[in-house]
Amino acid sequence: MNMNILKKMTALLMLALAILFFAPFMQTKAVASESSSSSSSVSSTTDSSLSDVKKKGTLVVGLSADYPPYEFTAKVNGETKYVGIDIEIARKFAKDLGVKLVIKNMDFDSLLVALETHKVDTVISAMNPTSERRKSVDFSNIYYTGGKYIVINKKDKAKYKNKDSFENKTIGAQTGSLEYNLVQKQMKGASVKGLAKLNNLIIALQSGKVAGVLMEEATAKAYVSNNSNLYAFNAKMNVDTNETGAAMAFSKGSTTLVNAANKTISKLKKENVINKKYVPNAAKYMKSTSKNNTMISYWTYFAKGLEYTLIITVISVFFGFLLGIILALMRISNAKILHTLAVMYIEFIRGTPLMVQVMFVYFGIGALIQSLPALAAGIIAVSLNSAAYVAEVIRSGIESIATGQTEAARSLGMNQKQTYRYVVIPQAIKNIWPALGNEFITLIKESSIVSVIGVGDLMYQTQLVQSATYKGVLPLFITMMIYFIVTFTLSKFLNYFEGKMKHEQ
Amino acid sequence: MNSKMIEVVNLKKSYGSNTVLKDISEVVEKGQVICIIGPSGSGKSTFLRCLNVLEQPSDGKVYFEGNELTNISENELNILREKMGMVFQGFNLFPNMNVLENVKLAPMKVKNKTVAEAEKMATGLLEKVGLADKAKQFPSSLSGGQQQRVAIARALAMDPEVMLFDEPTSALDPEMVGEVLKVMRNLADSGMTMIVVTHEMGFAKEVADQVWFMADGYIQEIGTPEEFFKEPKTNRAKEFLDKIL
Ligand SMILES: Nc1ncnc2c1ncn2[C@@H]1O[C@H](COP(=O)(O)OP(=O)(O)OP(=O)(O)O)[C@@H](O)[C@H]1O
Ligand SMILES: [Mg+2]
Repeated sequence: MNMNILKKMTALLMLALAILFFAPFMQTKAVASESSSSSSSVSSTTDSSLSDVKKKGTLVVGLSADYPPYEFTAKVNGETKYVGIDIEIARKFAKDLGVKLVIKNMDFDSLLVALETHKVDTVISAMNPTSERRKSVDFSNIYYTGGKYIVINKKDKAKYKNKDSFENKTIGAQTGSLEYNLVQKQMKGASVKGLAKLNNLIIALQSGKVAGVLMEEATAKAYVSNNSNLYAFNAKMNVDTNETGAAMAFSKGSTTLVNAANKTISKLKKENVINKKYVPNAAKYMKSTSKNNTMISYWTYFAKGLEYTLIITVISVFFGFLLGIILALMRISNAKILHTLAVMYIEFIRGTPLMVQVMFVYFGIGALIQSLPALAAGIIAVSLNSAAYVAEVIRSGIESIATGQTEAARSLGMNQKQTYRYVVIPQAIKNIWPALGNEFITLIKESSIVSVIGVGDLMYQTQLVQSATYKGVLPLFITMMIYFIVTFTLSKFLNYFEGKMKHEQ
Repeated sequence: MNSKMIEVVNLKKSYGSNTVLKDISEVVEKGQVICIIGPSGSGKSTFLRCLNVLEQPSDGKVYFEGNELTNISENELNILREKMGMVFQGFNLFPNMNVLENVKLAPMKVKNKTVAEAEKMATGLLEKVGLADKAKQFPSSLSGGQQQRVAIARALAMDPEVMLFDEPTSALDPEMVGEVLKVMRNLADSGMTMIVVTHEMGFAKEVADQVWFMADGYIQEIGTPEEFFKEPKTNRAKEFLDKIL
């Protein structure tokens, strides 16, 4: 292979690879040195968390907006908004700090990682300050306390009376939540099933996959008031009062920011604002959404989701294709290092799940580039993934071009680069067009994984619709149909062009 | 001044333990038409491909117009290859381009000719090989003879100093051989230096200045067509001629 072009092209790839591989380790180091400094010295002298927030003028709050009445989405005048107790507290906190509020919605399990990697300044997501969590983050004082309730199907009301009537049954709880641990520790004989989203746990309950779902009091009451088939009772869990309440989480050592939060919280408590104002407000939004939960009124969610899915796919296919060509050329090159690098990359990507890659890019590269938006992270991860598959498709395409073509081009004085660019690759692409089309269709489906880091694609919007409408299966069905219609139409379209191209040949 | 076009000195080529070219030292003068004949597998194609270094010789030197091709940079080699047109047994036209695009691609990309210049020249060359009316057709819609004539036009488009032909007619149906040979004959008449590997003895007799007989990795014998076909000097050549005539 011509070394010059490849050198340039690979420099880029190597950079991406280097960032991919080293970003997380650099991050670990940064965290380690940070925590050691805060434990060895008086933290307030080195802590700049409060001034940092004030300097950038925004308070970025991470939360998992599927937990009414704490945080959920509602349609206000046709616009989707985050609402709930935590949202109002966050707004008050930001106002007290004199900065703008920015909300980042993501899976509950991802919240602490987001905090550690400084993607968010604080997590206000009805989070219980367990001693386990205290090991990795700092908490504010508790701002609200509610008991733990078990939600069951109403028809089972006679069967399940208290937390001990679930022997040999399965109880659902949100993955990574306090409730999850409580089921394991305090519900003898019951096994636990963890899911990331409460909506899906409710679906599991209604379809009999779990006998009950353990959740926070206010949330349980919200579900019951919106779904007449459900019933909830107090689990009377034996919990450390310090660990049951909801508190704001901060990255370790953010003493000044924690102090500021405590100031806001004590003000709220003194005036009893949460019970007097925030809880009733949240209930109002829940009623207004439950009145209006026909799917048609949520078509904008699906449309927006589809738009994101297509944007992610198109951009990823484009970059995946470019990078794929580079990788393929590296792989067939005579230069040993390039060849080995390409093989390693391709094997590595094909040997790891896309979901892990997506999270790795978001939290790993995101550790270096703080402002990396989830959408960009998703696109980068999907592109890097797609490149490996495209590279193999292109390589087989190139290898299918007879050597006579190369010889003819070289005998005309074309150099290696020109030979590839004008003779080999155009023909290879023509041969691999169907395979590339399939890759595009595959990506439309696979890209649904980016919803785990909170990118607003079709899958993510589906989850929003689920939590807004308290309906689990119907939104999934609609989404499934949308995916199918898009991929089916596209594959017919590609077949048509393939046929046409063959005809021309 | 120097009329040597190509010179090879102690050329050797082996594939692993199989030594195909054992020791060849010859000169091709400007304007000469050389026909190389010899049994199958004797290394004729390998020799031709060593001349424009599509195949890297294992040992020895190849000079083209005084430049040592076996000892220059890739860039310089690319520039010199422009001047050595090559025509293959299997045509090797680019199937994704029409006839005109096949011919004008290299002049545009390698010599940076404008579209207009390249198109004008390509049209002229297609006329010369009798295919002006096929300019917009794709190779797959042409007969073998037509494809080979396009391949010749494509090589000529780089304005070469020498043309290398590797059995240009052996993949053709008999009725198409004539049209290709006619184009080659015209080319020879115009003074082009040509090295032609062929089994077309009639063409060799009529057009060649020299016939090189190749066997067992050596050029066994060189002579004018009259000498060679009437009275071959070596037994190896006699046997070969007996077999094919
Ligand atoms: N790339 C290669 N790798 C290994 N061996 C090769 C290669 N190319 C040619 N050979 C061998 O070199 C020898 C000469 O081949 P070459 O094609 O030069 O013969 P030829 O005289 O052109 O024969 P023909 O008249 O059949 O075209 C053959 O034994 C062939 O197997
Ligand atoms: Mg041959």
